[in-house]
Amino acid sequence: MAKQEIKKSCCRMCGMLCGIDVNVEDGRVTEINGNKAFRANRGRICIKGSSGVTQLYNPERLTKPLKRTENGFVEIEMEQAMDEIAEKLQSLQADYGTESVGVWKGEGIGFAQQEGLARRFIHGIQSPNYFSNDTQCFAGRYIAYNMVFGTWPCADLRNTNLAVMWGTNPPASHSYWTQDINDARDKGAKLIVIDTIYTEMARLADLYIQVKPGTDSILAWGLIKQLIDQKMVDNEFVSKFTKGYDELEAYAQTYTPEYVQEKTGVTPEQMAAVIQHYRQAGKKIANWCGTGLEHQANGVNNVRSVGYIDALIGAVDVPGGMMTVEGFGARSLEIDIEPSLMSKAIGREQFPILYGMRGECHTLLLMDQILSGKPYPFKGLVMTAADPVLTNANTGKVEEALKALDLLVVKDLYLTETAKLADYVLPAASYLERSELQYNGINQTVMLTEKVVDLGHQSEYELFKGLADRMGIAELFPWENEDELNAWLIEPTEMSLAELASHRDGYQFKPLTYEKIHRALERGEKPFNTPSGLIEFTSGHLEAIGMEPLAKFQDAPEYLGVEPDEYPLVLMTGARKVMYFHGRYRNLPQLEKVMPKAQVEMHPADADRFGLNHGEKARVISAYGAIDIHVRVMSAKEIVPGAVQITHGFKNANVNYLVGDGITDPISGFPALKSVPVRIEKIIN
Amino acid sequence: MQTDVLIIGNSAAGLSAAETIRKYDFDKKITIVSKESGPAYSRVLLPYVLRGKLDYDNLFIRDGNYYIENNFYYIEGLIVSVNTESKTAVCESSEIIKYDSLLIATGSNPVKPPIPGIESEGVYHMWTKDDLDHLMPHFNKDKRVVVIGSGFVSLQAAWSAVCKGLKVTVIELADRIMPSVIDNKGAEILTGKIKECGVDLRIDTLTLAIKKRDDGTFVIDLKDQSSIEADFIIVGTGVKPNTSFLEETDIDIDRGICVNRYMQTSVDDVYAAGDVAGGPTAFGDQHQIHALWPTAIEMGKVAGMNILGKQFVYEGSLNMNVTQMYDMTVASMGQFTDNLDCDEHLMPESSGMGYLKICAKDDQIIGACLIGKTSAMKIFGMLRPVIRLNKKLKVDITRLESDLQKLTYGVAH
Amino acid sequence: MKTVSIDRSKCVGCRNCEMACAFARTGTTCESQESNIKVNHYLDERVLMPMTCLHCSEAWCMSVCPAGAISRNADTNAVVIDEDRCAGCKMCMLACPFGNIHFDNEKLVSRKCDLCDGAPKCVEHCIAGALKYEDMNDNAAALRCKNDHKLIAQAL
Repeated sequence: MAKQEIKKSCCRMCGMLCGIDVNVEDGRVTEINGNKAFRANRGRICIKGSSGVTQLYNPERLTKPLKRTENGFVEIEMEQAMDEIAEKLQSLQADYGTESVGVWKGEGIGFAQQEGLARRFIHGIQSPNYFSNDTQCFAGRYIAYNMVFGTWPCADLRNTNLAVMWGTNPPASHSYWTQDINDARDKGAKLIVIDTIYTEMARLADLYIQVKPGTDSILAWGLIKQLIDQKMVDNEFVSKFTKGYDELEAYAQTYTPEYVQEKTGVTPEQMAAVIQHYRQAGKKIANWCGTGLEHQANGVNNVRSVGYIDALIGAVDVPGGMMTVEGFGARSLEIDIEPSLMSKAIGREQFPILYGMRGECHTLLLMDQILSGKPYPFKGLVMTAADPVLTNANTGKVEEALKALDLLVVKDLYLTETAKLADYVLPAASYLERSELQYNGINQTVMLTEKVVDLGHQSEYELFKGLADRMGIAELFPWENEDELNAWLIEPTEMSLAELASHRDGYQFKPLTYEKIHRALERGEKPFNTPSGLIEFTSGHLEAIGMEPLAKFQDAPEYLGVEPDEYPLVLMTGARKVMYFHGRYRNLPQLEKVMPKAQVEMHPADADRFGLNHGEKARVISAYGAIDIHVRVMSAKEIVPGAVQITHGFKNANVNYLVGDGITDPISGFPALKSVPVRIEKIIN
Repeated sequence: MQTDVLIIGNSAAGLSAAETIRKYDFDKKITIVSKESGPAYSRVLLPYVLRGKLDYDNLFIRDGNYYIENNFYYIEGLIVSVNTESKTAVCESSEIIKYDSLLIATGSNPVKPPIPGIESEGVYHMWTKDDLDHLMPHFNKDKRVVVIGSGFVSLQAAWSAVCKGLKVTVIELADRIMPSVIDNKGAEILTGKIKECGVDLRIDTLTLAIKKRDDGTFVIDLKDQSSIEADFIIVGTGVKPNTSFLEETDIDIDRGICVNRYMQTSVDDVYAAGDVAGGPTAFGDQHQIHALWPTAIEMGKVAGMNILGKQFVYEGSLNMNVTQMYDMTVASMGQFTDNLDCDEHLMPESSGMGYLKICAKDDQIIGACLIGKTSAMKIFGMLRPVIRLNKKLKVDITRLESDLQKLTYGVAH
Repeated sequence: MKTVSIDRSKCVGCRNCEMACAFARTGTTCESQESNIKVNHYLDERVLMPMTCLHCSEAWCMSVCPAGAISRNADTNAVVIDEDRCAGCKMCMLACPFGNIHFDNEKLVSRKCDLCDGAPKCVEHCIAGALKYEDMNDNAAALRCKNDHKLIAQAL
């Protein structure tokens, strides 16, 4: 009789961390199911989640460390690898300065606690240079929302009357939000989707609005003007809780419906319909922005201007609006570094707010610095489950730069395109092979995940502790194992590890509360964690560095300024597909078969214009490079004419060869991944 | 003996009726009389067993305990006459069965064309389990078979022989194959496929005589052609309803037993269903014999309901056929022949469905036929209620599947 | 008895249900043509319709199967196909008015939803909450399926 048990964990096949029940039979995982008692996903999981079993036992997984030699990779023992890596890091630091090395956390293994370990280690060895995939996804919106609200808010979708999804497609990217939105719709809520593509989410929308790529902020400002003109602004809320209204009102005047229509393609009637929905929804309104707005030259301000709408309506810290969530009170793994070192952080000078808010360096500037050695040499990089060859802009430069490093260590589940360039490749443990704290902000829950199986792979904790021990900072990683680390992390919460572990389906550390800002004001506290303590239309952070404080639309998408003859189309990249997560899972056979080939998705009129047929291959060319890719002609209603979309992460048609690193958002430094001028040509054999 | 319900016949219609009655009334005494031995089996499966797709045991569609579990009284025997006045039936064994209600579900028998020598040992039909038992030992590689007739059953028999590696000749008197199942174009396509599969298919060919040699093999003489040799022969030239035991009754018979929408015959308390019955069709015919399995199931159910007194009206039979042979799915439904006054819509090649013709009249689909791929079968499934219930649908062949889905699922524009 | 109820107003067409069904069945692929549940998308009408077997109380496919290969599972109430008995004649496909019976071109047998023995994968993977596995005697559930019942009544 096989020994059967169900272990509880959080899925890390994407970043949503759905609760999962993992069936284990005689020590082997047989099936992954949704955890019905988990508040976020309520028993439902996506196909990536259940495919975690295939990932866990994928024969393509790395099992032994690899070292690059003249004859290619050879397998070595872990101890040797760790010794050599530590020694090399130390010698680089000795020769070129402690800041000449860095760590890079990727999307493939873990966020949060694993990220904390990476930050702790790099700061521990006296380098400010922490990098991550977040500087091409999430960090821009994080900055934008924090500038406005002083926090990363959550859209209270389950309780809202009106969800407005700007450039985001939860069914593919934030799966359980789809359920939240449907729950709200059950209670009568409406849904507006604003997107260049008629997405899965748009299919449910009461109102779908197709905008031209990168012009969302113009629409947002147009709506702001309407809210003002139609006396829909909550004046009491605005006067009590916001800063910079006068500047906002004055600037909004430009955005007449006619102007908005000209720039965005959205008609005055459509705008009036949005306003009508706002009017009917009261304060239970949740606007939410996705990467569609973030991946633009005007990215941060795109998101800020949408955030203004919630603030003007007063849909903040109320049920169904923008929630400010509270933390568990556990310890952080981060440690401070000397200001003199901090000033050397790559990108801090150019993008001070990115570094100030996120403590992250800039990955695009890193590539330039590796290649130029300016302002100081950068020689060694330890990556954990990052695959920037597939996921960073300007792949050509990424490859060149990574090859130029003296030391590239890549720890991953697989020999990724990036790992292929490494000097050392270390096999990694997956989420099912470790125990860690996983948080869910919207539900204010924490879960201590169970270590489901031990396949003998080195965890992130063991990597950084192992390097720390060898590099003379053992005191920063004093914990014998993950359990001890987890216990230390939650010590301030007065909850024991055993007690937390007993909440097998997660623990809600605080009930969700609203109207906290009013209570804060009564207590004489600052209601928002911004420089002024208020919602900031004019950002104190920007004022402090002499930048325009209001989220004006000042960085129009590059394609609007390009001579149309040369690059007549605008390429949007990065629309997620349900079965993949960025560069991941093309090596899970059952998923790969669903979408084996990258596709350039286009409007039928554009296909006609360039003589292309569905299914054939075409060449897409930008100022940075060219790729050959299969054509997918969509229905006329599904994509805005003049734009094409290519999903990233396909190694045989890697769209990031086309994406430049030259145009970046001035605040976040994000590349304009969704507004790349391109042309497309038929391939004639 | 005495029974509440007497069902003559142990196949589709008879069992469907018996099970329908049983669903509502467990006590009513139901007696099933079958002239064939053994538990119920499915005639449709004979070619599948013959070609090795199914095990022989799978022929039996009800298990051994079925009759006991369902409280059916089962008699193996032949009914030789019926007296509708005294409500009795007489068995070959002279046993007399007195009934309250009678259901005649005796099916049909193969027709024997008037060819000299057709009664010889070694000339078979493929209609019953006995036929199968006779045929199976012959289905070896290196044997030569001549199939006379090219209807649905004959061609399936020939396909089974092809699958088993036999040398196959099919002889058809008419100028095309399968007139009742597919249209001319379909027949032409299938003819090509049959020949590709190595069958020597001869249309416009009259069989003059079957001669058995001393060594047991046959010589088949053909008109205007040289004779051909065979190790055995299968004759499949149609079937006729099994009604001979009713000659002395007042039951109206016009080839088959005439039944109304309640499966009632012209005589009170006597019902008929299945291949033996000619009943109303979805197209307004009064007494049409289908000799099709689905029709038999439906008729049996209607008869059962009305024997129970439930006043259940049959909406009329809809002819439908489907089989897999010669690597093609062959199917048809409703009205699809070439002589009809209707609009014909052909599925474009790009659909990958093969040859699919939809016949429509005044924005109403009346039938379809297919020589093609399985992917087209869903269209047939959705067509059934559309044809039956006379639902309006303007045919745009390129979007037929999605239009049918919308009609089915109630998706409004 | 429980069955898979479908609320088409909630479906986004993400096809997780199809992928999960295909994988549960084959163990090797998530391709939708291997699935027993199909999401039909009518772009012009803005309707998404996930369709899977309704396990009709009067299952015509079951009555008409000439091989006796279709039966009702006593535990789950699912109408199931015994692939060892299935002749591959496709009569059930002719019978199903909803197109919910599919064909396995490798094994040459019909295939259809079997409710995964009472834990349907499509429902677990319906991230939109459009599919539920619920008791049809429950009023709310019955309401959700009203449309289906109407369809069945119409079609049979």
